[in-house]
Amino acid sequence: MTSGTPHNETQMPEWERLAQAAAVQGGDAQSVDEVVQLLSFELDHSPYAVPVEIVREIVRMRTITPVPRVPDSVRGVISLRGQIIEVVDICRRLGLAPIELNRRTRIIVVNLDDGNAAAILVDAVKEVLRVSKEAIRPAAASDSGAIESLCEVGDRFVSLIDLDRVLTIHA
Amino acid sequence: MAGRSPKSGGRKAPSRKASQEFVSEAEEILERMRVDLADLDDQRSSDRDIDPELINSLFRSAHSLKALAGMFGLEAIQDLSHHLEDVLDGMRLGRVTMDSLAVGVIDEAVRIFASLLEAIGDPEALLAVSAPVEDLSSRIQTIVKPPEAEGDSFASLDIDPSVLRALTEYEEHRLSENVERGRHIALVDSTFEIVSFEEGLGAISTAVREVGEVISTLPAPGDTPESQIRFSLLVGSDLAVDGLVERLDDPAVTVRCVLAGQTEPETTAEPEIAEEPAQPIAPDPVIESLRSIGETVRVDIRKLDELMNLVGELVIQRVSIGEIANRLVADPETARVGGELVKIHKALDRQLTGMQSAVLDVRMVPMRQVFDKVSRVVRTLRRELDKDVRLEVSGADTELDKLIVEDLIDPLMHIVRNAIDHAIEPLDERLAAGKPPQGTVRIDAFQRGNHVVIAVADDGRGIDSTRLRQTAEQRGLISSGDSLTEKEVFDLIFEPGLSTREEITETSGRGVGMDIVRVNITSIGGVVDVESIPGRGTTISMTLPITLAIIQSLIVAVGRHRFAIPMNSVLETLLIEDAEIQHSEGRELLNLRGEALVLRRLASEFELESDESTGKQFAVVIGMGELRIGLLVDSLEGQQDTVIKPIQGPIRSVRGIAGATESGAQDTVLVLDVATLVEDAGRRRGVE
Repeated sequence: MTSGTPHNETQMPEWERLAQAAAVQGGDAQSVDEVVQLLSFELDHSPYAVPVEIVREIVRMRTITPVPRVPDSVRGVISLRGQIIEVVDICRRLGLAPIELNRRTRIIVVNLDDGNAAAILVDAVKEVLRVSKEAIRPAAASDSGAIESLCEVGDRFVSLIDLDRVLTIHA
Repeated sequence: MAGRSPKSGGRKAPSRKASQEFVSEAEEILERMRVDLADLDDQRSSDRDIDPELINSLFRSAHSLKALAGMFGLEAIQDLSHHLEDVLDGMRLGRVTMDSLAVGVIDEAVRIFASLLEAIGDPEALLAVSAPVEDLSSRIQTIVKPPEAEGDSFASLDIDPSVLRALTEYEEHRLSENVERGRHIALVDSTFEIVSFEEGLGAISTAVREVGEVISTLPAPGDTPESQIRFSLLVGSDLAVDGLVERLDDPAVTVRCVLAGQTEPETTAEPEIAEEPAQPIAPDPVIESLRSIGETVRVDIRKLDELMNLVGELVIQRVSIGEIANRLVADPETARVGGELVKIHKALDRQLTGMQSAVLDVRMVPMRQVFDKVSRVVRTLRRELDKDVRLEVSGADTELDKLIVEDLIDPLMHIVRNAIDHAIEPLDERLAAGKPPQGTVRIDAFQRGNHVVIAVADDGRGIDSTRLRQTAEQRGLISSGDSLTEKEVFDLIFEPGLSTREEITETSGRGVGMDIVRVNITSIGGVVDVESIPGRGTTISMTLPITLAIIQSLIVAVGRHRFAIPMNSVLETLLIEDAEIQHSEGRELLNLRGEALVLRRLASEFELESDESTGKQFAVVIGMGELRIGLLVDSLEGQQDTVIKPIQGPIRSVRGIAGATESGAQDTVLVLDVATLVEDAGRRRGVE
């Protein structure tokens, strides 16, 4: 299933919108609409990414205070600039081995759709990718339902994570 | 979701923010106008002299509103306030008679402003309001008369015509008002050193205002040394000249009679040089209003929260600096530098503590703001319900966290409304009971420890506990066999099933919705109590925390986990040995002075590993209402100021956890939710 857009008039395939944009702008691939910025990071030795605009902050490992009575995927909470934010080990949500905390481990703080914040643990932060929308294609199959699409960078595929879906945890 | 468009939103944001600022500021001005109008109404209905300052204040409000609306380009508001300004200006200058027609127009204008504010950002609603705006504007124009040519009403004054010519229109009007009222008119002259004349002039003006009005302050001609300046104050007063001289009690001041009000003789004091320091002269009304805007700043409380968080971060960094300093001191090679750093660290510590309390202080607002609102509601109710009720307040300077004040207003209004509507008896009933005809509602605010108590007392009929009990039984809230203390019976008025019934109001002397009052007060961490003496009156007191921002917590540890327990729910702490713990049906109990205290192990509640090697543990006795339990923990780690923060993330609430607080360098401590822990313990007891 593709993720639905709320408005019917915008519900046209990606390529069609791109074609329209290209027709108007003369195919210059550097226009804002066509380039997506992604923050890529490593989970279990493979590259994953989320859109840059939802990332609030990337912080080094700090004390994670465990919280009782929550699912295993919630590692605990951190305090960051006066806010208390849950830290989620999304590897457990993606069916990967839990993250081992070490020097390279980073915490990515993201803004959720509802204005709330959340934090995810990643093995390492890689880089910010600027990719053309054309390079993004729907994921053929996602076991966890959390990978919305794949992005081709060079000859490797980077998995785009739908964080709002991954972080919907029913306690 | 794929359609997360980065460019959506943001475009309209600035104008919306600006109009929000406008609305909040305009609302404040309207609020002030309503207060002034109510006062004006009072003065008119009691046949007292209208305080000219009241009209000035209304005029300033209309003026500020006009300026504000102009700044934000809101024409409808600008036009209407301009017309309103005309009426008020006319009133201050005596061109518009202060009859019910004129006051009604101002009243209506304020109401239209309110609906205009609501309509901002909604073109259709704005259009709907535009007709009444035009209608009112044209009515205002018919009220405002052109300035009259000044007659020779000042002919009887013994005054230099040049002085009269120097008066502004407003001053002329004030002069003729004073003459009409039969007051004494006098010229008070004094000479001041130029360097300090503002102070001397201020002192005299203040002294004059105690017994009359300063109509105008004019520089006076006359021979004075270069370093001095001479002023004349044109004064209207009920005191004759000798009275004024006595009052001013300064040989340097001359008082000369311009017009004798009644029949008192004229006296003159010796002219001399004054050097008495005091306050600056009263500024022009419009300038004053601008200044008052400059002295206060409206701040979104969320910005204060941000500020508070930043201070919190600084505190954390201070801890790290302290650690580094200690490490340097420990090493002989760097001990000297370390010592210096320790000193700096200590100074930083003091300043940060000061800063923290200063930020907290900014959030505090005096109860006066609430009392002003209540007194207005009382005035309206008095009229609506046709009951003679007096409102007395004390403790207007008591301060409370702004957020608590916001949540307090509705419950407080509700209690006051009920007191006037239901508790205070009708006149004939009061007279029959031998009570004074005028009922009294009294609000006292005072600080008690870490709490503020707000008590609303009435001298009404009081609660009839027998009938209240009967009604509660009929409703099935209690059964006839239940033995209740008087206090428990009174507390029934907070039961939803009871107080929502309209017919109970007569017997209880309380209206509907007392259950809502309790819910609201409880939600901000407060407690409501009721006391009543039948026939004498009822007192409802609300005990509120001073601030939600910082509370004292007890830090406890289980294994390597630490938790904070709000001190206000900790009743006591006990060191107990394993041998003291008794068992009943698999539950652990402690004999606490003859009572069986149910014990719960925090380690098993939260599935934590606890340190059981010592054979000792601490029981923290926590309670909510009548329920209390002993929470077993490994150790107590002392008290700490804590700011309870909500946890952000996919899991919003965890049962038993109220939130979290920062502690030291980057560390977080979870705050226990005592209410649910105690409740769960009680519930499980019922199930077992």
